[in-house]
Amino acid sequence: MTEKSPLPPKDAELFSTVCQFCIVGCGYKVYKWPEGQDGDATPEGNAFGLDFTKQQPAFGTWVPSLAHSIITQSDGRYNIAIIPDDDALVNSGMASVRGAGLAASLYRPDGPTKSRLSTPMVRTSAGAKAANWDEATELGGRVIKAVMDHWGADAVGMKFFDHGGGGGGFENNWAVGRFFFEGIQTQSVSIHNRPAYNSEIHAASDAGIAPLTNAYLDAQLADTIVIVGANPYETQTNYFLNHMIKNLSGESISSKENFLSNEEFDSGRMIIIDPRRTMTVATAEAAAGYENILHLQLEPGSDLWLLNAIARVIYDRNWHDIGFIQNRTEVQTWEAYQRSTLMSGQSSEEFLNEASIKSGIEIPDIIKAAEWIAKPKASRIARRTLFHYEKGLIWGYKNYENIASIVDLALMTGNLGKPGTGCSRLGGHQEAYVRPKSNTGRPARNIDEALRRGDIKVFWVAGCNPVQTTLHANAISETLRERGRIVSEALKNSLHMPVSEQVAAIIEALKQGGIFLIGQDIYPTATTDLAHIVLPAATWGEINMTSINGERRLRLYQKFMEPPGNAISDWKIMARFARALHKLYSADENPEMANRFLDFDWTDDQAVFIDARHSFSGNYDDPMEGFAGVDYKILHGLGINGIQTPTRLINGALTGTERLFEDRPFSTPSGKARFIPAPPPWKGYAAKVEKQRNNHRFWINNGRSNHIWQTAYHHKHLTYYNERAPIPYLEIHARDAEELGIFSGDLVEVYNQVGSVQAMAYLAGSVKQGHCFMLFGQPRGAIGKLILDHVDPDTTIPWYKGVWADVRRIGQSPDLSKNISFKPTNFAG
Amino acid sequence: MKNIKPRDRPNRRQILTMGAVSGIAVSLGSEAESSALSQSATMPKIEIARLEDLALGTEINFYFPDEDSPAVLLVLDEQVQDGIGPGQNIVAFSSLCTHKGCQVNYYEEHKMLICPCHWSSFDPAKKGRIIIGQASSGLPQITLAIENGSVHATGISGLIYGRQTNVI
Ligand code: FES
Repeated sequence: MTEKSPLPPKDAELFSTVCQFCIVGCGYKVYKWPEGQDGDATPEGNAFGLDFTKQQPAFGTWVPSLAHSIITQSDGRYNIAIIPDDDALVNSGMASVRGAGLAASLYRPDGPTKSRLSTPMVRTSAGAKAANWDEATELGGRVIKAVMDHWGADAVGMKFFDHGGGGGGFENNWAVGRFFFEGIQTQSVSIHNRPAYNSEIHAASDAGIAPLTNAYLDAQLADTIVIVGANPYETQTNYFLNHMIKNLSGESISSKENFLSNEEFDSGRMIIIDPRRTMTVATAEAAAGYENILHLQLEPGSDLWLLNAIARVIYDRNWHDIGFIQNRTEVQTWEAYQRSTLMSGQSSEEFLNEASIKSGIEIPDIIKAAEWIAKPKASRIARRTLFHYEKGLIWGYKNYENIASIVDLALMTGNLGKPGTGCSRLGGHQEAYVRPKSNTGRPARNIDEALRRGDIKVFWVAGCNPVQTTLHANAISETLRERGRIVSEALKNSLHMPVSEQVAAIIEALKQGGIFLIGQDIYPTATTDLAHIVLPAATWGEINMTSINGERRLRLYQKFMEPPGNAISDWKIMARFARALHKLYSADENPEMANRFLDFDWTDDQAVFIDARHSFSGNYDDPMEGFAGVDYKILHGLGINGIQTPTRLINGALTGTERLFEDRPFSTPSGKARFIPAPPPWKGYAAKVEKQRNNHRFWINNGRSNHIWQTAYHHKHLTYYNERAPIPYLEIHARDAEELGIFSGDLVEVYNQVGSVQAMAYLAGSVKQGHCFMLFGQPRGAIGKLILDHVDPDTTIPWYKGVWADVRRIGQSPDLSKNISFKPTNFAG
Repeated sequence: MKNIKPRDRPNRRQILTMGAVSGIAVSLGSEAESSALSQSATMPKIEIARLEDLALGTEINFYFPDEDSPAVLLVLDEQVQDGIGPGQNIVAFSSLCTHKGCQVNYYEEHKMLICPCHWSSFDPAKKGRIIIGQASSGLPQITLAIENGSVHATGISGLIYGRQTNVI
């Protein structure tokens, strides 16, 4: 037999870590042992202490092939096995399909991940050439300084990661923030997935509510869970399976008995507001019974109508929590909200009719949703409802009011700060935001526009790929390509000159309209392929790092291997450039500028963490990420369950926060939450979007999926994941497909006046007629190629879901499709 | 307070206690063959069914390569990759889900194998590949051979859930 899973020996090194992928942050154990020294099948012979001469039971421990890898380090080759941790409260020993492949995603010079960036490079129009760190930093630092001196700080633009998990973490985020906000002091900044540096949920923060309010336990205790614009089976998997499903199936009744002793309860219900019938809907129905799941398949852009209509029913029937409103909210905002948003002057019938027409949801279903959310229990005790929302709402039309509408619903029903309640993002990536204040204003500057206008002369991109994934990505791609070419030519002509002359040539090129692009990442991307300096970053497993998950659980992600070649952590890259700029400005005898780049001399990962910790005071003013009083030693001692932020020191004792706003005041000057007006802005769609909608037949909904994490930066290299979606797939309704002569597996073109993408058709019962769905960030065809540059003018957040296009059949693709199953991805038996 | 029974879905505790193999239809070879299997250190060969008995839509549960390893043979309605028989439509797979080891069920409606624990689904027409779910490999496929008018299991491609090697 060739199939054999290697077992760690008794003396294998053991590390504790958290998955690098989604927001849920499942706990994992990492076993490391030298090649050729495997454990054996006897309980005495392996680190698990299990008898592998026998079949392991269901929910047991084993090492599937994706959970194992052989890495090469400077002192030899090692086995790595990465297994879900049974002791982790988040996942109780379960892996998602993404976490199951953590070991497979590790760098291997002789394996599928061998294309990792491993050395700095300088690229000219004659090609890329390896450089050492000193050369790359010297050139990049001098160009940045020259640009600041000529055009000012705002001519230095950046688009950087700001997240937790792989490629992020508090340490790297802090260093990035210090460099750009204290050092450069540019306002030309933007976050990895959007054209500006802005919150995706301004309305929640205006209301005084943090993005992540609840504990995962609350999903086991809630009477009703509301999911808006999210698909947690696929993209927040173990939160859904290990917590929500336990509630829906009745498995968490014993927890309810413990926590909710004075009220009646039942197995949980779920309301899912999503235009698609996803696997989340199917599995929730399988667990709870069809009658306990309410799926509202709304029309695009109508979230606000639907959520406000539900609120209006609650208001009309006096199911709102007047005690909570009076005690915990600024009452005058409640009064204004009734007028502006609940349209208290308009008849209920009129309001609901209009909402029903706009959203496509029948009025009885709107009323049913209101009942499930807020109709008091028989004992008159309020229902406990947990609200969750994500990109369907955030990237919907229109961002600010969309978020306001769900926050207002939670406030009017008193569903914050109690077990079984909350109003939180479901989240995509993990969180780890800690940076000096950014002062980017509101609405934040649109960097994509600044790039196209030519205002930005140096553009530094890290951990993201705007050439493919921003709005109207083709335009950004062309801008970077054409403006970059001018600099590439100057670099080629000056390559063998002293660096000062090289920089002078680059500045001349910038004056001719050029742009100098710095690309920092772990793999080559379409963006680093255009970069003049490429900086290789270390990632998860190669550095010690910290992050929080969707319930603010802070843990230490231990380093267990070396990064590839000369790659170093992002914080070390920022520190190198800061020191270079400090030196350059010191040489210029410009102490004011030199001092902006002082104190980047951290010695290790923990030193950055501790430096960042000074942002927090340990009192109620700290944001949800606050980790006052925490260091690596404490986290190591706390193990895989860590501590939930924000932390406080109470009588010298470190104390976490299970759920926000129990005793903690809301984040407003008064300490009381505010209702935020969320009137429907519906005069129709924004003009250019309306034009696109009128000109094209299909709404192209888009999002993430179970198997492919973000832009597939790891997964496109790993056969198991890549063969599920080797090119973008397009879910299309069978009747629409029939009309167009399209079969599952056919190659199709999705096109509009912005651009076109080739995809593989997937006839699916998940989408309604006239709707399609494709992945947001598939590297061989992302939605960015089809989307207009429209943003919410109040927040600069794009309406990424607002894409309309036509679809045409290109032909069959037997080679690509032969290994793909086209059976339903939303059938749970 | 009302105390509601959990809805009808296997939970972790139930699965741990019910064991991996109880309650499925079994079609093993002879007694002698089956007991020999569990002691064998090499891949055994067992007869599953007579070819003439395998009508379209047939589903046969059996064990392979030993009594702790449930498997399922299916006769599909199309020619498929690695299918055998005159219609190249006979396939067999390990029934242990490669996620956490629950036993998959066959759903004739869509011809899918689905795990009841976290709903990983597998396509028997595509070599047991994942359709959707949390399993990190497809279902191990049982190699089949036809000898003397009977379908035999002769090997396995892929590692069975919960094992270091397929033959233990
Ligand atoms: S055990 Fe099969 S999906 Fe989890």
